[in-house]
This record gives sequence, structure tokens and C-alpha cells, in this order.
Amino acid sequence: MNGHIHNTDDRRELQMARSMCWHCQSEMAGEYFCDRCVKVQPVSKDLDYFTCFGLPRRLALNPQTLETKFYELSRAFHPDFYQNKSDEEQTISLGNSAMLNTAYRTLRDPIQRAEYLLDLEAGSVKDIRTTPPADLFEEILELQDTLDEFRASDRASESASTLRTKLHADRATLEQRQRDIEAQLLQLFSRWDALQDRGEATEQARTERGRILKEMRDILSNRTYVKNIVNDLVATIA
Amino acid sequence: MAYSEKVVDHFNNPRNMGSFKKEEDGVGTGIVGAPECGDVMKLQIKVENDTIVDAKFKTFGCGSAIASSSLATEWLKGKTVEEAGKIKNTDIVQELNLPPVKIHCSVLAEDAIKAALADYQKKADSK
Repeated sequence: MNGHIHNTDDRRELQMARSMCWHCQSEMAGEYFCDRCVKVQPVSKDLDYFTCFGLPRRLALNPQTLETKFYELSRAFHPDFYQNKSDEEQTISLGNSAMLNTAYRTLRDPIQRAEYLLDLEAGSVKDIRTTPPADLFEEILELQDTLDEFRASDRASESASTLRTKLHADRATLEQRQRDIEAQLLQLFSRWDALQDRGEATEQARTERGRILKEMRDILSNRTYVKNIVNDLVATIA
Repeated sequence: MAYSEKVVDHFNNPRNMGSFKKEEDGVGTGIVGAPECGDVMKLQIKVENDTIVDAKFKTFGCGSAIASSSLATEWLKGKTVEEAGKIKNTDIVQELNLPPVKIHCSVLAEDAIKAALADYQKKADSK
């Protein structure tokens, strides 16, 4: 989870380090291929996924654009096209393809995309830790008790049927909660994107940035808790 | 990935499952969660004369999380409040032989102990 934390200085250094072609040592202007000798270049492991796809760090994303770029890069890096090339190039092609696949999987899913963005931005925002949702925890543990009781009960009994009714109602409530959470997330996504689009570097923008990220972190955590208990609930009463 | 024997044992025969009344005298409650996996853990201690006389837990989560909290309650009993604060997640990792992907479960247990101790202290101080 925390493997993507970046430090701006490190990144600058890495980009400098890879600004030279590994093969002909000429300076690199192009992204993934050397202009002079046309050799494929390793995608730095520290290059973030958004940059990898040439996308701004926004949360709303056109899946079509992402897919098109993914296919384009997949073709460029695919190991099949490097079978007759040197060992170095084959290794680079494999590494780049693996990185590209992970990047695509991560960015394609809105939740994973947001989680990833939070990891990326974690370095720039202090105290992105979540506030534990005490009420939700209590609710989850209470529901867990009811589930245990239901599991231990004789399914044909009257008490089991009362429990089942209660659990079905709980399920409906929780699923509504899930929908609310997703709606809240979408709202935060557009707030984030609007802020990114404005690109202001003011103190106020920084504060707003931090606030959005923290809120997003909290909501994503709550989403995981609720999702877990819903899965358990559904599996038990199914 | 296979669970270690000790994890399976705690999972199948959890020690000290249950809860105390939060308001009860000398009871400290810690409820913590792991946002990465959605596990929730409640750990409670009952303190008399600075010694933990009883401990209980309730955990909603994977086998390792249950085992970690079950083990924690076992260890807590008989310890003084000060000794309890010294329990480290690494001790739990070692005892249960947890694999790297499950280390956060032991961290959760340590957090739960800390939260329960803090809650106990807060209640004691407000008297």
C-alpha cells in the first residue's frame, strides 16, 4: 500500500538519471524510446501511473482515453516484439509491460485510482491518517453478534426467522449507506479535479487540497469497513 | 498461504471472547480498525489495583486478526498497566509466526491494547 510514496526531490533526480539512453548514451528527449538509436527505454519504477499514461493527476477519467493509451503502449512494449532483440531490450520490454499492466489495472478502477492518488499525495499532506469511525465500529460489532447468534440458531426456529428479518433490514440499511458513500466519493472527486484544474499554489489551495484528501481517506476507509460487513452479512443470510 | 498452528488454534478456540460493560469501574475499552482490510477489533481490560485481572475481545476480521487479539488478551491478564503498555506487535508476530502480509493484524492488536489502556487511564483520571 505504501510503496508509491514519492518525494519530489527524489523524482527529479530519477528523471535526470534516466534522461540518458542506456544504449547510445545520447540525451533523451522522447518518452519511452531513444530518438537516436530507437532503443526502448526502461520506465522508471518511480514514475507514477498518471504520468506513465500521460494523464493529469485527476480522478475523473475517460475509460476510453485510458484504454486507447494502454493499447498503444502495450503494443510498444510487448515482449513478442522483442524476441529478436538483445537481452537488455527483452528485459526492459518485460519490465515495462508488467508495470503498464499494473498501472492500467490501478487506474481503470475508480476506487483503486483514488487509493493510489492518496498514496501519491501522502507525502505532500501531513497527517492523512484516518479518524476511526467509532460509531460505525460499534455498529459492526453489534451486527457481528447478531450474525453469530443467527449462525448458531436452528434455522427452522422462530427466533432464527426473527433474526433473519432483522438482518435483511440491516442489509438494506447498509447497502443504502454504501450508495451514500459512493455518492460522497464522487463529489470529492470533482472537488479534487476542479482544484487540480485551477492549479493554484496558494496557501488556501494547499489547505483545501489537504482537506479533500483527508476526507477521501476517511470515506474510503469507511467504505472498506461497510463493504466487509455487507459481504459477511450477504454470505450468512444468502 | 497457510496459517500457523498457533493461529489456527486461537481461531478455533478463541480465548476470552466477549465483552464487559463499558461503564463498569476499572474497565478500559479500545476499539480500533484497519482501513486497509476493514477489520475491526474491540479489546477490553478490567483493572484492579493497577493489575489487569481480566481481558476480553471481539474481533471482526480474518483469522490472524482474531488470533492476534485472542493472544493479546491472554498476555494481558496478570500484567500491571505499565507492563501491558510494553507489549509490542513484534512479540505477537513472533509468537504467532505471522507472515509479512498479516503483520498489520498484530499492529491492530497493539493499537487496541494502547487504546484500551488510554481509555482506562482517562476514566481513572476523571475520578
